[in-house]
Amino acid sequence: MIYLDNAASSKPTRLALDSYAKLAELSFANASSPHKAGREANRYLEEARKRILKALRLEKTHSILFTSGATEANNLALKGVAFQYASRGKKIVSCLAEHSSVKNALKELQDQFGFEVVYLPVNSEGKVDIEELKKAMDSQTILVSLMAVNNEIGSINDVKTLASIVHQYPKAYFHVDATQAIGKEAFEYSCADLLTFSGHKFGGLKGNGALCYKKTIKFLPLASGGDQEYGYRSGTVDMPGAYAMSLALEEALKELPAHKAKAKELMSALEKGLKENPLLAINSPKDHTPFLVNFSLLKHKASVILEALSEKEIYVSSHSACDEKKVDPSETLLCMGYDEGRADNAIRVSFSPSNTVEEVETFLQTLSQILTEVKTR
Amino acid sequence: MTGKHFMIRFGELSTKGDNKKQFIQSLGKNVRHALKDFPSLTFQVTHDHIFVGLNEEDEEAVLSRLQEVSGIQRISLVLPVEKDIDKIAELALELAKKENGKTFKIETKRIDKLFPLKSYEICVKVADHILENSSYAVDVHNPDVTIHVEIAESSAYVYAHEYPGCGGYPLGMNGKVLLLLSGGIDSPVAAYSLLRRGIKVECIHFAAPPYTSEAVIDKLKDLIGVLNVYQPKIKINVVAFTKLQEAIYKYVAEPYCITIMRRMMLRIATKVAKKCRALALATGESIGQVASQTLVSIQTINDVTNFPILRPLAVEDKVSIMNTARRIGTYEISIRPYEDCCTIFKPKKPKTKPKIEECEFFEKKWDWASQVDECVSSITSILMEDGIEKVEEGEAL
Repeated sequence: MIYLDNAASSKPTRLALDSYAKLAELSFANASSPHKAGREANRYLEEARKRILKALRLEKTHSILFTSGATEANNLALKGVAFQYASRGKKIVSCLAEHSSVKNALKELQDQFGFEVVYLPVNSEGKVDIEELKKAMDSQTILVSLMAVNNEIGSINDVKTLASIVHQYPKAYFHVDATQAIGKEAFEYSCADLLTFSGHKFGGLKGNGALCYKKTIKFLPLASGGDQEYGYRSGTVDMPGAYAMSLALEEALKELPAHKAKAKELMSALEKGLKENPLLAINSPKDHTPFLVNFSLLKHKASVILEALSEKEIYVSSHSACDEKKVDPSETLLCMGYDEGRADNAIRVSFSPSNTVEEVETFLQTLSQILTEVKTR
Repeated sequence: MTGKHFMIRFGELSTKGDNKKQFIQSLGKNVRHALKDFPSLTFQVTHDHIFVGLNEEDEEAVLSRLQEVSGIQRISLVLPVEKDIDKIAELALELAKKENGKTFKIETKRIDKLFPLKSYEICVKVADHILENSSYAVDVHNPDVTIHVEIAESSAYVYAHEYPGCGGYPLGMNGKVLLLLSGGIDSPVAAYSLLRRGIKVECIHFAAPPYTSEAVIDKLKDLIGVLNVYQPKIKINVVAFTKLQEAIYKYVAEPYCITIMRRMMLRIATKVAKKCRALALATGESIGQVASQTLVSIQTINDVTNFPILRPLAVEDKVSIMNTARRIGTYEISIRPYEDCCTIFKPKKPKTKPKIEECEFFEKKWDWASQVDECVSSITSILMEDGIEKVEEGEAL
C-alpha cells in the first residue's frame, strides 16, 4: 500500500496509540467524577490541555476545549460566537475556499438565523487577498473565519497580516481553521482568537479535535448537559484521545522542520514527474505547502483514475463526483480561474513524514501507465 | 395443540396433484428458516396446512415474516379447540366479543367428513349461541365480523382474522434463474418479483473497473442483503468486463456500443447460466424505458441466445417499479451515485432500432469470442447469506 492521502487522515503515531491504549485501560474513570479515579483521569485531561497550549505558545492568552474533531470545533467556534455576540452585529466574513464544516455552518447562520455572511474569493494563487478583506470589514463584523492552509490545494494564507486587519475592528474575532497547518506550516498561533484543529491529521486518533480560544471569549454552547469543558461542550470527555492528541501535537511541532525538509524532498520529486507528463497540470500555487499538491487530469476522469490507482493500492484523493449526473467541481479551483473540466478532475496527493521517494516514484510510474491504458473522458 | 397458532394455507399448491407432498415439505422448510429467530415457536406440517404455535412469541413480527415467504396464500391466527360443538360455540362467542362490530357471520369448513354435524348445522349452532349471549345481529352479506370455524382431522379451529400471504410457489420448486444485476432500481425489483413466485435467483454483475467503482460491489451486497429476506442464500457472480468493454468502444460505432455490449452480456450470461444450472436468464428490462429496451433493441440483443429470458418488469411502468423498490427497501440503496458499466461512456445518440446485420458487421472486427470465454473464466463470486457476506474460513477478520 502506498498511502498518499494524509490530508484526509494520517496514521496515528506509535506514541499516540500506546498512550491511548494505556490510558483507556488504566484510567477509564469519568474525568468529571469527584472520586480518586475520576480525579486521576481529570489530571491527565488537564495535562493534555497544558501540553497543547504550551506547544502552541498559547498558555497565557488562550483556553482549550476538546471536541470530536475539527468539524465540531469549527461549528462551535462559529455558531457559538455568532449566537453569543449577535447583539454586537450580524456580519461574518469568510472565504469561498473554506472547508465545508465552515461554509455549511455559516450557511446555516445565514439562512436560518439572519446573519449576513460575506464570502471572499481567493486569488489565482488560492489565497485570500488582503485588499478584499479590508473592503469586506466594517463595524458590524463580529467574526472572520479564514483557514491557515487550504485543504484542497495547499495554499498558505498570511494569517498574521490578515489578523492585523481583523483586529483593527475591536468587535471582530478572528477564527483560524488550522486543520491542515498544525505540524506542517507554523505561524503565530496567538494571532487567532479562535483556533481549531483535528488530531488525526497530525498523528493523533480520529474523534479528537480542539478549539483554542482567547480567555475573554464566551460561547453559547451547542451541546448542553453536564457542563463539561467549561460548560461549552457537555458530554463525557475522551480523555485518552485528548491526551494522545496532545502528545502527537508536541511531536509534530517539535519535528516540524525535519518533517518539512522531508516533505520538500518528496514534493520536488513528485512535481518533477507531474510536470513531465503532458496529460497533467499542477493547480497548486508555487509556494504551496510541501505536504500537499493538487493537479488536474487534462484528458481523463478523476474518479476513474482514482479507482485505477486504488486497485493497485495507491491511495490519493479526488474532488470529482463519482456520478455523471452530479457535477460538483471544486469551488476553490473555479475561484482560482480554472475551467470546469479542470476543476472537476483534480487529484490531491498529500504526504506524511513516513512516505518515501521510492513511493513517489512508484506512484508517478503507475499513474503514467494508467493514463496510457485508461480511456479518456 | 393449545394456544394461539398461525394456520398457513397453500393456495396455488392445491392444483399440483402428485407433486403436492414435495411442495409442502419444501414450504415447511422455508417457513422454519424464515422464523428461525423465534426459538419458542412450534411447527406442525399437515396435508392441508402448516401450523405455527406462537408460545409467547411476538404475533406481528412472526406474521410479517410469514407474509414474505412465497407459496403461502393466506395466514390465519387460530385457536385450536376440542371437536365438541358446545366448546366451539363458546370459543366463537369469546372471539366475537373481542371484536368491535355489530353484525357477524359464521363460515364453516368441514374437512373431517366424519364430524356428526354438517357445515350448515355447525353455522346455525354457533350463530345461535352468539345471538343468545351478545348484542350481535346476523348479516351474511356484509358482516362486520366473520368468525371462521374449521373442523380438521385432529382438532377444530376458530378464528376471526385472516391475512394475505405473498402467493406463488415455495422457493426453489421452480428452479433457478440467473439475473443480470446492475445495481440500479429495476434489477432488484425484478429479483423480488421472481422470488415472490418462488423462483430462486442467482446474480451476474458486469464490473468494469476502474471505470466503475469498487463501491458498486458494496452496493450490490447491500441490495442482495435486503433480498436475502426472501432467499436466504444468494450468489453474485462478478464478471471482469473492462477489456471486452474497451474493445467494444474501440471497434464499434458509437450508436451501436450499448447494443453490442448487451449482446456480449447475454453471451456471457448464457454460458454462466449453463455452468450454474440456471434454467433461464432474467433481466430488469422494461419495454421502452431506454434505447436498449425498445422491442427492436430487445429483439436484436436477444438474437445471440436461445436461452429463455424472463423479464418480470417488461410491462411495468417506472413509477410502479420505483414504488415497489421503496416498499421492499432497495430504492435508497439503488440510488447511491455510482456508475455502472451501462452508464459509462454512454453514447450521445444510442440506436433505438439497431439491426442484427449491423451488429454482426461490427462483431466481425475482432475476436470477441475468446474475450467472452475469458470473462466467463475470470468470474469471482460473492455469497450473501442472511444479509451478511459469507467469507471463506480463515478469511474472516
